[in-house]
Amino acid sequence: MANEKVDVVIVGAGASGSTYAAVLAKAGKKVVILEQGPDWQLSDLISSDIWGRRIKPAGPPFLLEGKNPVSYGYQGGWGVGGAALHYFANFPRLLPNDFRIKSEHNRAHDWPIAYADVAPFYDKVATDVGVSGDARSEEIWRPKGDPYPMPPMKTFRNGDIWLKGFEAVGIRMVPAAVGMNSTDYKGRPACIYDGWCHIGCPIGALANPLVTYLADAKKAGAQVRPWSNVTRVLTNAEGTKVTGVEYYDRKKERQVQEASVVVLAAWAAQNPRLLLNSTTDKHAKGLANRNGLVGKFMMTHFSSGTLAIFDEDVQNYMGTTGAQFMSYDRYGKTAHKGAFGSSFIVAGTAIKTSDLGGMANARLDLFGPELAQFMKRGARGFTRIGAFGEEMPNIENRIEVASEKDEFGMPLGRIIHSYDDDVPKLWEANFAEGLAIAKAAGAKEMWSGRGNIPTIHLMGGTIMGTGAENSVVNSYGQTHEIPNLYMAGPGIFSTSGASNPTYTIFALSLRGAEQLATKWSTVAG
Amino acid sequence: MHGIERRAFMQGAGALAFMVGGAEVLLTPGEARAQGVPLRSLKPDEAETIEALGETLVPDARKAGIANFIDHQVSIPAEEALLEARILNVRPPYANFYRAALGAVDRASQALNNGRGFAQLNEAEQRSFVDAMRQNKVEGWQGPAGGFVYLLLRSDAVDVVYGTMEGYAALGIPYMPHIAPTQRW
Repeated sequence: MANEKVDVVIVGAGASGSTYAAVLAKAGKKVVILEQGPDWQLSDLISSDIWGRRIKPAGPPFLLEGKNPVSYGYQGGWGVGGAALHYFANFPRLLPNDFRIKSEHNRAHDWPIAYADVAPFYDKVATDVGVSGDARSEEIWRPKGDPYPMPPMKTFRNGDIWLKGFEAVGIRMVPAAVGMNSTDYKGRPACIYDGWCHIGCPIGALANPLVTYLADAKKAGAQVRPWSNVTRVLTNAEGTKVTGVEYYDRKKERQVQEASVVVLAAWAAQNPRLLLNSTTDKHAKGLANRNGLVGKFMMTHFSSGTLAIFDEDVQNYMGTTGAQFMSYDRYGKTAHKGAFGSSFIVAGTAIKTSDLGGMANARLDLFGPELAQFMKRGARGFTRIGAFGEEMPNIENRIEVASEKDEFGMPLGRIIHSYDDDVPKLWEANFAEGLAIAKAAGAKEMWSGRGNIPTIHLMGGTIMGTGAENSVVNSYGQTHEIPNLYMAGPGIFSTSGASNPTYTIFALSLRGAEQLATKWSTVAG
Repeated sequence: MHGIERRAFMQGAGALAFMVGGAEVLLTPGEARAQGVPLRSLKPDEAETIEALGETLVPDARKAGIANFIDHQVSIPAEEALLEARILNVRPPYANFYRAALGAVDRASQALNNGRGFAQLNEAEQRSFVDAMRQNKVEGWQGPAGGFVYLLLRSDAVDVVYGTMEGYAALGIPYMPHIAPTQRW
């Protein structure tokens, strides 16, 4: 079935798709957003780790391979709001050194843009969605920008107790920048610090798409169609332009949505899967893939968690799932001797009992009565800090399509991912420093959160660059090969940095959407 | 009303919908166990093994209804499931994983203990078996990696014992819900 042609069809109603939708709808464009999953409302976000799993990935699975298979079930999204419906809303930026790794270290590659190109959009996003923090204090590490619209969030003993330890090892901690309301903001209430951010904030104090860009987009006339499973991007006969997308609706009936511009904002793994499945006689390897770079350079973060029990009630249930304090003092690419890559440090987080990040999983080796005893001790004194690490892009880390197909006949995606030798070195360096911090902070028990090296925040796959010889898209997310086809989200990152990615996703999406609106007649004409 | 919307409504009541006497009744898994609600997907011996494993992993998991919880969750569409399997990237249908895991546990237990399945072992033997499974050190193990089976079933047991409002209360931790379940789970 064919639907009335629109100006823009956006695939995915998460952070990046919502941002594009808001900008373009407000610019007067007719916008349709196709979302694979349900149409969640704030009232669906019940405070429970168990019920919170309903908003985690479902639908056709990705096949996970490599020495360090990507784990996407906890961090991914499903349904309107995407992963940003349940993200922690930590809002660190990338720093200037992230954009110039090749120039400064002869490693990986440079971005085609500099920090200065993105900085104005960080500031705009802060105003649009509401960010709490102390920009001035961050400016010991980055160029000056606008102040955040709200003061820092409250801190609690589970965060404050670490400060002595950080000071002892020479790490400066500043108030964390978070996409949450420390005060009422734009009609949304201030946070009440109940620590349920990670399963979705139903009061709208956390800047999820439902209360920010997606709300703006709907108000401006954008239409959201949940339960719409996109399978292909369609092109004209010459293969020079995209003409819309094919999708299957809730009744599993085939639909076509024609559009002048297509924006894929379906997640770093799903965007390449769609491109690779959209082969034609003019695009034998898939759309935007003549250079064979679609699906390449997948990247993740990894974290080194230091966990501790203090001999006092740290009220670990209080606060937010995001951080209270943060530091870029180990963000230099060679900050740790013998290791390479940035580290971003956070402290102070509310902790619940169960789920992947819950207290019970802090000692996975314990079971039976020993676990019960640990839970009693931890209920009073358990808290933790963490350091995110940066993985360098590697062309062998990639998305492919498998021979096995989903219920719509679309090949499943296969994510192949292995860490290189730099990663365990950086992981270990951050563990060692974490234990030194815990000791100096006066912890009674302290340990490293080991196990397999985690894979967090999937990025890459449709990276940006200076041209088709090195990348899939330009700095706005526009594909080099087809001018009216855009990519949005973490897939366009050239390198990963070590900062939580969503603030940068919002900023790059805003930048891309504004460029598209400005150049509309050239792009869509 | 579409199924998932219906459950989205029902979750506000905080319990799961079990079939009792041909009618849907909202119960916690512990209540379902206490009332003898029939299992929908698991066989009795599988439920027995789950309960024995759950109790070994987290004390009180049997009474909290771990078998009824898993049975319910593997009986509904994967997109509605509340199992930690969902965030640990287990490929649906989840019943397949549990069957494979439970089969591996009982086969290995029988091979190592003169034909006795896991539920028939004494408490010390069960602890020893689980400790070996945790470390992927069960001799002759055939099935999903023992360490992963440990992680997943331990998570399920943690869910029913510590992830509920009762679990928080037992630890003295304020639950502080934004949207409170109207029942205790």
